[in-house]
Amino acid sequence: MKRTLIFQDTEQIERTADLLAVAGKMYGEEPFESYALVIDGAGAPAVAGNADTPTSCDSPGGLNNPASSASASSPGGPNDPAEALSGFFQHVIRVARHVAEPHDQLGICAILAELQQEYQFDSILVPATPFGRMIAPRLAKRLHTGLVADITDIRRQNGGVEIIRPAYSGRLMAAIATRGSGPVMMSVRPGVFTYSGRGGGDGAGNAGSPETEVREYTTPVESHGSLRRLAVKEKQISYDIRESEVLISGGGGVLRNFSGLQRLADALQGRVSASRKIVDRGIAPRSIQVGQSGRSVSPRLYIALGINGAIQHVEGMKNIESIISVNTNRNAPICSLSDIVVEGDAMEFVDKLTERIEAFRSDAHAEQGAQQ
Amino acid sequence: MKIICVVKIVPDVDSFAYDYENNTLIRENIRMILNPDDACALACALKVKAAQPDCTVEVVTMGPPSVRPHVEDLLRLDTDRGTIISDPAYRGSDTYVTSRILARYLSTRPFDLLLTGSHALDGDTSHIPAQIAEELGLEQMSGITAVDFEHFDRQRAVFEVEYENSVVTYEMGLPAVLSLDRESGYQLPYVKYEDFQKDVSGKLTIIDNGELGFAAGEVGSEGSLTQVVRTYTQNFATRDRTLVQPDEKGIERVFNYLLEKGFLTK
Repeated sequence: MKRTLIFQDTEQIERTADLLAVAGKMYGEEPFESYALVIDGAGAPAVAGNADTPTSCDSPGGLNNPASSASASSPGGPNDPAEALSGFFQHVIRVARHVAEPHDQLGICAILAELQQEYQFDSILVPATPFGRMIAPRLAKRLHTGLVADITDIRRQNGGVEIIRPAYSGRLMAAIATRGSGPVMMSVRPGVFTYSGRGGGDGAGNAGSPETEVREYTTPVESHGSLRRLAVKEKQISYDIRESEVLISGGGGVLRNFSGLQRLADALQGRVSASRKIVDRGIAPRSIQVGQSGRSVSPRLYIALGINGAIQHVEGMKNIESIISVNTNRNAPICSLSDIVVEGDAMEFVDKLTERIEAFRSDAHAEQGAQQ
Repeated sequence: MKIICVVKIVPDVDSFAYDYENNTLIRENIRMILNPDDACALACALKVKAAQPDCTVEVVTMGPPSVRPHVEDLLRLDTDRGTIISDPAYRGSDTYVTSRILARYLSTRPFDLLLTGSHALDGDTSHIPAQIAEELGLEQMSGITAVDFEHFDRQRAVFEVEYENSVVTYEMGLPAVLSLDRESGYQLPYVKYEDFQKDVSGKLTIIDNGELGFAAGEVGSEGSLTQVVRTYTQNFATRDRTLVQPDEKGIERVFNYLLEKGFLTK
């Protein structure tokens, strides 16, 4: 039976289970055995991606001290990843903090290589988190196997598989074949695949979910990296554009009036997002950028103001129900993708539409008042 | 201190145009540029050199002979040596093979630090820095957004990496591979006017497989473990757009659309 190993390194545990969908696509009807490797402290919410909690970072001797590393993902804690992955994976292999720190690339690579030796996995899947993107190529090299980065799809073709990934920053898709005797290795951006095989199970090993066997990995690791975390600064994030149903997005056409978009966003109870042009000028933070080098968003309504629609931007617009674009050029690329194209000045549109919505609201309000 | 910058000359993919109506990518007449992240890495090296007079900076790239003018431009800056690794046998090499070729050359050179970019505009796998590091038995860090030049010597480097929700300061022992992100904002200086035509051939070395000595089946597409079977453009679904003006009628049309779709609640 085929064996797949999935590396856990995301804040949301379900994202790790989502990678099972990749294995499912690769093996089709053929059953496979699933393994998850969990490094204690990896993907802890305090630091995105790859590091431990700030509290334990500089305390000498604190690394083995559970009290100092009491993060939300600590063993047995409310969000213990090994526990959360039970019911999804047949096997969970857990590495304790004293064996390897979650940011120790040399130590973790050594563990992965050791596990490959022992289990002979047919595939190793790594989430394309900042740490995953460093560990996957290193491991591929150590295992003398090919690696396909940021895959978006898998197609079974004449007994083999073709792995699909974007090239040229998403402007082109490439189908990749792997060869050699090593395991097939891929990195996968979180959120690209969704695993729906929960099969009525409740995530705790009940009906439809596999029985999970948890193994504690205790073999000492000889090579450790020198990397030390000196400080962690939390960033001020006001909102997540991925969670908004309505996005009012601005591009090069609203460079001078970007802050003016907020009015329309408020009127529509939405959020403001931006194209790269706005972000590169320092007008808006990277966290609200839509596109290949920003975030992928799927709101119900997307209003694109002064956005030309370069493919790197459009790449970030996924499954949007309604697109309205406002542009002085009716032939701007984004107009082809829109339900309504408003040909004209974006700020004029913002002002007029906001007023119209506000008038509608105050009418409604007055009506309600009259009825009381 | 000896710094080697490993860089790549790439097509300026931002200048590609895309025709959504016909789903075609227009790739003609594309300009080649120094990969933006790599430019930050070289700029970072030159900043170190400006502060430490005994520091040397070498630029290494692998590519076809046509990258030469680009490397020459970099040698008109305050760089000490440029190396182009180029051989027809290397054509079609994947990241596994490319990192092997680069590492074989790098292992013949003395250095305290390798600087690279984090992402390349064209391939965007970010494999090479980590794989060079693995080949040479070094640590590596991607996504560096700031370097602390006050705490930067032959033994260790202090730098920041920006994540989604935080900025983390790290210290790493050297030698190592540090990979810069363009968010670092380090900019290459301009070439001085009097140096525009400066002959830099004395600083440039071309290395081919005669020197690196790979067997035929080890490199190029034959030696690669991954292979691009085909490429295609994505199909973007165009919509039946309604064209309006931002006048009263147009705004009313948009307003009613939002109302119908349930985006407006009282």
